[in-house]
Amino acid sequence: MSQLHRAQKGSRHLLMGNEAIVRGALEAGVNVAAGYPGTPSSEIIETLAELATELNLYVEWSVNEKVALEVAAAASFAGLNALAVMKQPGLNVAADFLMQLSATGTRGPMVLIAADDPGALSSVNEGESRPYAKLMEIPLLEPGDFQEAMDMTRWAFELSGAIGNVVLLRTVTRLSHASGNVVFHELPERESVAQFQYAAGGGPLLSLPVKARHEQQQEKLRQAVALFEDSPFNTYSGPDNPEALIITSSICTLYSREAVEILGLTERVGILKLGTTWPLPNKLVERHLARADKILIVEEVRPFLEDEIKALAAESAARIGIKSFYGKRQGLMSSVGEMNPDKVVQALSHVLGLPLPNTESPYEKRVTEIAIEGAPNREGTFCAGCPHRASFWSINTALSMDNRGGFVCGDIGCYSLAATPAGFTTIKTLHSMGSGTGIASGFGKLGQFGMDQPAIAVCGDSTFFHSVLPPLINAIHNQSNLILVVLDNDGTAMTGFQPHPGSPVNAMGGGVVKVDIPAICRALGAEVVLGDPFDVEGTRRTFLKMLERTGVQVLVLRQPCALSPEKKGKKAYDMAVDEQACLGASCGCNRLCTRVFSCPGLVWDEKANHSRIDEVMCTGCGVCASICPVGAIGMKEFA
Amino acid sequence: MLQKGLCVDCGACVGICPYFKSHAGKIAMLFSCNLPQGRCHAHCPKVELDLERITQATFGKPYDGSPLGHYSEIKKARAGARLQGRGRFQNGGSVTALIAFALKSETIAAAALTGSLGLTPVPVLATSEAEVIACAGTKYMAAPSVASVNDYLRSGIGNLGVVGTPCQIAAVAQARLNPLNKPGFRDVVALTIGLFCTWAVDTRSFGALVGDKTDACAVTAMDVPPPPASVMEITTTSASYAIPLDEIRKTIPGGCAICPDMTAELADVSVGAMEGEPTWNTLIIRSARGAALVEQAVRGGYLELADLPLASQENLARGAAGKKKRALLKAREDRLLNVDPASGRSAMLIDDSVVQRILAG
Ligand SMILES: Cc1cc2nc3c(=O)[nH]c(=O)nc-3n(C[C@H](O)[C@H](O)[C@H](O)COP(=O)(O)OP(=O)(O)OC[C@H]3O[C@@H](n4cnc5c(N)ncnc54)[C@H](O)[C@@H]3O)c2cc1C
Ligand code: SF4
Repeated sequence: MSQLHRAQKGSRHLLMGNEAIVRGALEAGVNVAAGYPGTPSSEIIETLAELATELNLYVEWSVNEKVALEVAAAASFAGLNALAVMKQPGLNVAADFLMQLSATGTRGPMVLIAADDPGALSSVNEGESRPYAKLMEIPLLEPGDFQEAMDMTRWAFELSGAIGNVVLLRTVTRLSHASGNVVFHELPERESVAQFQYAAGGGPLLSLPVKARHEQQQEKLRQAVALFEDSPFNTYSGPDNPEALIITSSICTLYSREAVEILGLTERVGILKLGTTWPLPNKLVERHLARADKILIVEEVRPFLEDEIKALAAESAARIGIKSFYGKRQGLMSSVGEMNPDKVVQALSHVLGLPLPNTESPYEKRVTEIAIEGAPNREGTFCAGCPHRASFWSINTALSMDNRGGFVCGDIGCYSLAATPAGFTTIKTLHSMGSGTGIASGFGKLGQFGMDQPAIAVCGDSTFFHSVLPPLINAIHNQSNLILVVLDNDGTAMTGFQPHPGSPVNAMGGGVVKVDIPAICRALGAEVVLGDPFDVEGTRRTFLKMLERTGVQVLVLRQPCALSPEKKGKKAYDMAVDEQACLGASCGCNRLCTRVFSCPGLVWDEKANHSRIDEVMCTGCGVCASICPVGAIGMKEFA
Repeated sequence: MLQKGLCVDCGACVGICPYFKSHAGKIAMLFSCNLPQGRCHAHCPKVELDLERITQATFGKPYDGSPLGHYSEIKKARAGARLQGRGRFQNGGSVTALIAFALKSETIAAAALTGSLGLTPVPVLATSEAEVIACAGTKYMAAPSVASVNDYLRSGIGNLGVVGTPCQIAAVAQARLNPLNKPGFRDVVALTIGLFCTWAVDTRSFGALVGDKTDACAVTAMDVPPPPASVMEITTTSASYAIPLDEIRKTIPGGCAICPDMTAELADVSVGAMEGEPTWNTLIIRSARGAALVEQAVRGGYLELADLPLASQENLARGAAGKKKRALLKAREDRLLNVDPASGRSAMLIDDSVVQRILAG
């Protein structure tokens, strides 16, 4: 949204949380931003990249999150304003560097944004970023609404500049991806000059001597806490002496307010909303704890805030008395999944001994009923024409034919879906990025214990660069036996086609060096075979041959994503089902096409007893023609 | 069936539906099909093979458990002058000769035979004499030969000849009964030539065994000479090897251990080796159709017949009876014979009195 860098101070805009963060970074005068795509964080780098040329920013999609943090750190070391952005699992990847970075400290202001996904709406876990602040001993900020997303981002730079260390700002899906009103502040006007002052003005950046640096790092935290005590991001609303006090943060602030309103308790319950959640501003929290005896802590996933507050309350007990705490530890609220107003209503009713209100409106009830009765069961599946469906068809059937119990170690991307019937449950292990290859490398060494099951790893093109290279090298060096299938669909498809090192353009649209996957693998010493996933028979044959060989082999299956800009709307083939040839229910195939292969472009016509192409969904990839055992699906090339 | 390890890779289920494929000598089920009953089970020679029903359907006679099954004549035979020296026959070349003649005389339009790719046996649909000759020679690996029968069924052309081991011939005999009453079914099989068989080997494990000694892809021929020799002879392009049968036995699929048929009792003609005379065959003529073909082939110069000494016939019957007995004992032990349908599925159904007779023999 082009308004982001033009709109003036005081103007009001409807912004997505991630856009508000971008505006905050612009108001802070960000110079360099780096990240790795991951829902719900991706729009931050994408939006900055769009503005890069006009504002003279440098913005990049880095090969992985650790490198993104390093690239951003370099800008900070050179005195610039730096931003690193990633989703929570990426923080795990960056953690090694972050541990060192927080020890050496930063020069120019540097903010690390981690986007958590409570409820795993678009993730394979609901990992938490908050404990990292404590582990790394860096300040943690958590915006509670859209205005704060902007204001807090701007202030995070200020804080980093003041204490000389990186500041962690945590957002969540419901904030990053929802929209709300934001009033803009001024954009700075200044020229930035980069220089790394490793002699005078700071010296080299080393974590040595360790004890002295660690002491400095903790002193920075004390400075941060001093600022937190007066921070406008920590607010209290409610009566002076409420019957119960809710302590909350992040998006749970909105849920808590709503719950108090639903129950009509604004005169009886107070809400302490914390924006600076680690280290806690002791004095401030103690002051508010003194207001009530019953304390309800509302937060998502793990009881992070709860533990911190309980520890603080224990220390302050002599002054504020013994409190009754309600939250996750005693089981009142769940430590998994997202929070919502209903959950807060239930918990608060319990705390105050109120009867549970009837929150279900007749309308809502009817909607739920209809959903249960009528809605078809829609499992996640690959898009029509997705090359992954074809790839996994070939891999799966080849592994079955091979008959030795071979299996696929999965990885992170759209193709993770192959752990479900959408990909014929071909994937049997699924962990973090790059782990499929690492695990397969390990399996491939178990021959000496009698294991003869072939181990296959799959990864996408972006994942290949992100973290598959080290395990691949490991496998080659240690003479493991594995086949790595690179599902190369020409971009980071899952998160929206961000470029990666295999792309000819960068985030800002400039031409860059395209790194060639097969060439790398060959140079490492792997046997490399190229294939087209849409050639199902050919791919299966190739794969079966590879299964007969030993050593490290790489099969690169290349076919752009069905949704990629270059493909969208263009059909290669005009597909049609020959209604005479399709034997319907009497075919021995028992609807192999629509029951097992299950491309959304192919539907079963119950009444007519044959399958049929859904013209709207079909992308004309032609794969189903080779699936039908009686050849009833025909393909005509478009002239 | 696959899970019980009984599969002998005959190919009966391959090509009926897309769920079964054969690769490297093993049948694989690609996806579970969830149909309550299918032809895959109905044709399988290791699922409820009802010997009484199938023998009645083939010969109009009961299954009596006699060692060699129903037959009209036992002879010794070899390829006639027209074919002598034209192929690398396993023994006398009678199989190649009969098929070549059947094609020539248009008794059949094509033959389902077994060729090989490296060490892997592959189904071949032969329509010319040259293709038939190219398939000569025994591949001791269990082979999905029946798959091409299923392919052929779909082609709609009639008059197919089939050469196969006893289990393969049993699968074909079951398919010919149209057990699931598919509408529009047509029996396309015009001739079955059975091969004698004591056991086959699993391609992959056998390949590994051979691979330890020589390049498995260079194997050109294999033979199991009759006792007292107890080896399998492997000939490659450059040398020959003898592998002890004790080692070979470890690679025999479980299904062979419960196989009661040594001489392909459901075929029109059955052909095997002949004791002491490696360039001749033992020939068992069973059906009228088989007898007619043999007679015409002799007249056409494709086949040469002679009398088989009585002692050889007796030895053969003794061997066949022994295999039957061992198979039934093993099947009973593994609860695969005449199982109460409520408690599981049988591999074979044989009338109890016949079982008693075989075991007593
Ligand atoms: C697995 C197996 C085990 C056998 N065991 C015995 C035994 O114990 N005692 C005995 O006397 N004879 C046995 N035979 C039969 C014997 O080896 C000869 O095939 C038979 O004597 C015919 O010889 P021939 O010279 O006429 O064959 P050829 O004229 O050389 O023709 C051989 C024919 O066998 C077919 N064939 C080859 N391999 C296979 C296979 N794996 N499955 C199905 N068909 C195949 C080919 O299509 C070819 O038409 C066995 C055969 C097989 C396939
Ligand atoms: S022994 Fe029986 S089951 Fe085994 S291959 Fe021979 S005929 Fe088939």
